[in-house]
Amino acid sequence: MAIVSKAQTVPVRPHHSLWGDAFIRLRRNYFAMGGLAFILILALMAIFAPLITPYTFAEQHLDQILESPSWQHPMGTDQLGRDTFARLLYGARTSLMVGIFTQFIVLCIGLPIGAISGYAGGRTDNYIMRFVDVMYAFPDILLIILLRSVLGGSIYMIFLAIGLVAWVNIARLVRGQIMSLKSRDFVSAAKTMGGTGNYITWRHLLPNSLGPVIVSVTFNIPRAIFTEAALSYIGIGVKPPTPSWGAMIQDGFNLIFSKPYMLLFPAIALALLMLAFTFLGDGLRDALDPRLRH
Amino acid sequence: MRRKSILLSLLAIVTTASLILTSACTSTPKVEQILTLNLAAENNTIDPNRASWVSERSVIIQVFDGLLAFDEDLALVPMVAKQIPTVANNGISADGTTYTIELRTDVTWSDGQKVTANDFVFSLKRLFDPDLACEYASFYFNIVGGEAYYSAADKTDAEKAALKDAIGVRAVDNYTLEIRLTDALPTFPQLLALWPSYPIRQDMVDAHGEAWAQPDVNGAMPYYITNGPFILTEWVQQDHYTFIRNEHYWGTKPKLDKIIFKEITDANVALAAYQNNELDQCGVPGGTEQTTMDDPVLSPQIVRFASLTTYAFQFNVTKPPFDNKLLRQALACAIDRDAYITNVRHGVGAVALSWIPPGMPGFDATLGQEWTFDVDKAKELLAQAGYPNGEGLPELKFQIANTGANPTIAAFLQEQLKVNLDIDLTVELMESKAYSALYNAREFTWGFTGWGADYPDPDNWLPQLYMTGAGNNKTGYSNPDFDALATQALKELDNTKRLKMWADAQALVVADQPMIYVFNRETFVLSKSWVKNLVTTGMDGNIAGDTFLRNVYIQK
Amino acid sequence: MLRFIVRRTLWLFLVLFVVLLITFVLMHLVPGGPWDREKALAPKVVEALNKRYGLDKPLWEQFVNYIWGVLHGDLGVSYSYSDRTITSILAHGIPKTATLGILAFIFALIVGVPSGVAAALKQNSAIDYSSVLFATIFASVPGFVLGILLMMIFSVVLHWLPTTGWGTFQQLLMPVFCLAALPAAQFARITRASTLEVIRQDYVRTARSKGLPESTIRVRHIFRNSLIPVITVAGPELANLITGSFIIENLFAIPGVGRLFVQGIFARDYTLIMGGILFYAIVIAILNLLVDILYAAIDPRIRYE
Repeated sequence: MAIVSKAQTVPVRPHHSLWGDAFIRLRRNYFAMGGLAFILILALMAIFAPLITPYTFAEQHLDQILESPSWQHPMGTDQLGRDTFARLLYGARTSLMVGIFTQFIVLCIGLPIGAISGYAGGRTDNYIMRFVDVMYAFPDILLIILLRSVLGGSIYMIFLAIGLVAWVNIARLVRGQIMSLKSRDFVSAAKTMGGTGNYITWRHLLPNSLGPVIVSVTFNIPRAIFTEAALSYIGIGVKPPTPSWGAMIQDGFNLIFSKPYMLLFPAIALALLMLAFTFLGDGLRDALDPRLRH
Repeated sequence: MRRKSILLSLLAIVTTASLILTSACTSTPKVEQILTLNLAAENNTIDPNRASWVSERSVIIQVFDGLLAFDEDLALVPMVAKQIPTVANNGISADGTTYTIELRTDVTWSDGQKVTANDFVFSLKRLFDPDLACEYASFYFNIVGGEAYYSAADKTDAEKAALKDAIGVRAVDNYTLEIRLTDALPTFPQLLALWPSYPIRQDMVDAHGEAWAQPDVNGAMPYYITNGPFILTEWVQQDHYTFIRNEHYWGTKPKLDKIIFKEITDANVALAAYQNNELDQCGVPGGTEQTTMDDPVLSPQIVRFASLTTYAFQFNVTKPPFDNKLLRQALACAIDRDAYITNVRHGVGAVALSWIPPGMPGFDATLGQEWTFDVDKAKELLAQAGYPNGEGLPELKFQIANTGANPTIAAFLQEQLKVNLDIDLTVELMESKAYSALYNAREFTWGFTGWGADYPDPDNWLPQLYMTGAGNNKTGYSNPDFDALATQALKELDNTKRLKMWADAQALVVADQPMIYVFNRETFVLSKSWVKNLVTTGMDGNIAGDTFLRNVYIQK
Repeated sequence: MLRFIVRRTLWLFLVLFVVLLITFVLMHLVPGGPWDREKALAPKVVEALNKRYGLDKPLWEQFVNYIWGVLHGDLGVSYSYSDRTITSILAHGIPKTATLGILAFIFALIVGVPSGVAAALKQNSAIDYSSVLFATIFASVPGFVLGILLMMIFSVVLHWLPTTGWGTFQQLLMPVFCLAALPAAQFARITRASTLEVIRQDYVRTARSKGLPESTIRVRHIFRNSLIPVITVAGPELANLITGSFIIENLFAIPGVGRLFVQGIFARDYTLIMGGILFYAIVIAILNLLVDILYAAIDPRIRYE
């Protein structure tokens, strides 16, 4: 393949320089940097939420129900008189956690399975890929709902349910990467120098296939957050009083005709987060792909 | 070039297809007497014997008339029966077990045939058909032989036939029906007003089997011969129902030419459709009541009325810590139901302090006053229960189905206990079926469930839920005094005495607080100003006024 | 090629069997059965219902009976929809869901691919940013929010379009747009990335140095080759769209299958769940096969043995 022959001319360099180059390229991409900045600021605000807002996400002010935005409540209050801004900040914790932990689970399952399948090849690869085919044949949302019902109510089970469904793509991606890298010079070199299978996989193949994986994860984080919003709409989201952006959007959705801001604030927040991850993902892809250098 | 032309032809196909679709389905301009409502659900069945859901009832009551019916005040009135059977008019035997019902001779089916006693006999026997597994059959197990036939699924055909013949329902003549009961059941006439007892045409069922109540491929209902004010002409599944006036109707013919039931499940979308004049009535999404009342355009269109439904936080009283009556009472005093109704629900609904809702025989406004919101009393009771200031209290878990406004009420309860008693409540929000399974198996600790009237009588409210071991007694409540009273009341033929017994029985239950009664539902809908004479009752389903659509007319 | 197709088809049967088995196990692990209601049915009634639908038999026997039925083209009857057969429910709903899905797919391609190509050819220009931004904005709002916002504008305020229902062209517009938003954005981003990659390939440079007209290079070399990754994601995306979206169908009250399957899970309508998963798995398998065949057609480097 043309891709391989081109890549063969690139000298094998130490890892940090690959990542270093990538970072330099990323820094030039203002959209990506903007996205990254947004995510980091949001994460900081979520972590330090108690310092930013005097309210907690659970406290109810039954005399201040469904108030419009004001100085006291910059984003108004909800049906139980809870401060929407506080809920949005604490909700960011849930939503970011959903995004990050599901991808963590996805990586924990998908990375080793894909790596083993790709490196071992042959029969092992065949069996694993057939299993992947089976997983692939399930409709995501139906499987998540089933798993969610089997696993029960806690938020960790939401991560697990989404993760158990979403690892397949990463496994396929890693396998593809490893298979194309396997034939490259530096791997053959390692082999002739006596490297064992495990050593080669972990030292050479996985690090070199990480670029596309990172990009994929960046795109999948917002998808997981989105899925949580969809689960909230269906009625199997996080449990109260924990706020999540998905649950808040669902609450606001029911009030759209009377208090549109209840929907708009969390929806805009979610949209911005989606955009941020998308731009960051695009930027990372451009940056991590040596062929796109210009 | 080639690609472009493919694209162009594709576009052309799409456009032509759409043009054809549009021209085929252009709705006729809205003529005067058409009412469009939202059923908001897809029905399982509209076979009266088999139906069990409110949305199924909404369809069935448009097209069937039973022996008796409820009027606007939920009192019984005769329909196909000439009069309400009583001991005085010889409709009921002195021991209360044999009913002899005279039928009107002028009632016709929608194809012009006469409705006879045999149509009721067929329906009441079919209700117990073991192979049909009708869900409301158990309500009628007092009929001689009913339960035996219903449980005969494994028997041979001959045995089944014998059991079916043994059911105590027969046609004395064409217009006289006789029903025999195993025990006196003073509320049996109410059951004769419910849909499972409506007449069914044997020839349709014999010829077409279950398909008699199902649409054909085009959505038409060719075999659904009915005897009510409207005829169902079309059921496009998951989409809509079309009813037209029954020109053969024996009673006062309805004024509406046509009724359409749509199936929009999302409440916000229904409101949008209402505002776009696609619906003549819609509910408002929970939480928007206040703004609807404040809206100058919408507020005159509001229709609200009490619904015979009570919601309660139900304890599993068989397991610690909720087997402790004082703890239950303490929690009951710690919840500010007024704040919930007034602030969170914007005054829609009514605080409930006892089980039987207002508007029904057996409601007692004086009950439960000692368990109103009172933080000091709650703390005192908590101390008496053995948990001073909540010390030593195990983790309290609360299970609730994740539907409608339930998450809100869960969050409300959680915060009330936190603020008033400093108790941390763990809320387990569950998918609805999972909750029902847990609740039915009595594996819940503390749950939230409502009860709506099947028929407006304490019979439907107290024995089912509070008698030891009764089918819907999920709290595990058991009180010998209650059981003794209830056993008597169920058979008492003197109505005044009967209601007094139920009143005493309810007082026993409320004192024990196996449930914390929270609120009675109030239906809050919007109805266009041109919809006239909409009459609502506390038993209406998803559609407000569905019991009396025969009286409605349109005036623009 | 033919052998490849035959082998894949045979393999499909095994996959379907395993999929059904897993679904069956999961489905019965889910707490709650079809007859669990808050207002409990009498035990006698539950018993009679179980008998009627064969749920009183041991699980393994139920599964064997089900598979036996499937092999004979009988997918059983629904417990929650008038005893309709699953095949008739599918026959009733699939055409609607599929029409919606295919229109949304075409719309997503028509919008997504050209804007991706345009963005790549003018990388880092205003066109690039605006097309990606525009494509992503609609995809950044959950479907039900986008749907209700459209409804508020076009139905409630402007009175141009009916909110819900099925049968007219006007009723299709909003749901198709909502469905297409996410895949359109995805197509745009993938097309942009793959076009960028192709532009820098040797054969494009060669074609340029040969003096081929720019339009020929763009269509024959760049466009064609940049489509390969698009096809990879288009397959599963089309499968997703054809099998329907609960959220969009529920919102716009469309009598399709997407809404039914999810309701089937909540109703514990076991046969409906199995039928839904079976349908989805078959669509996925067929589309994956088509993708592989298309690959071979577009990319001369790929040959199946």
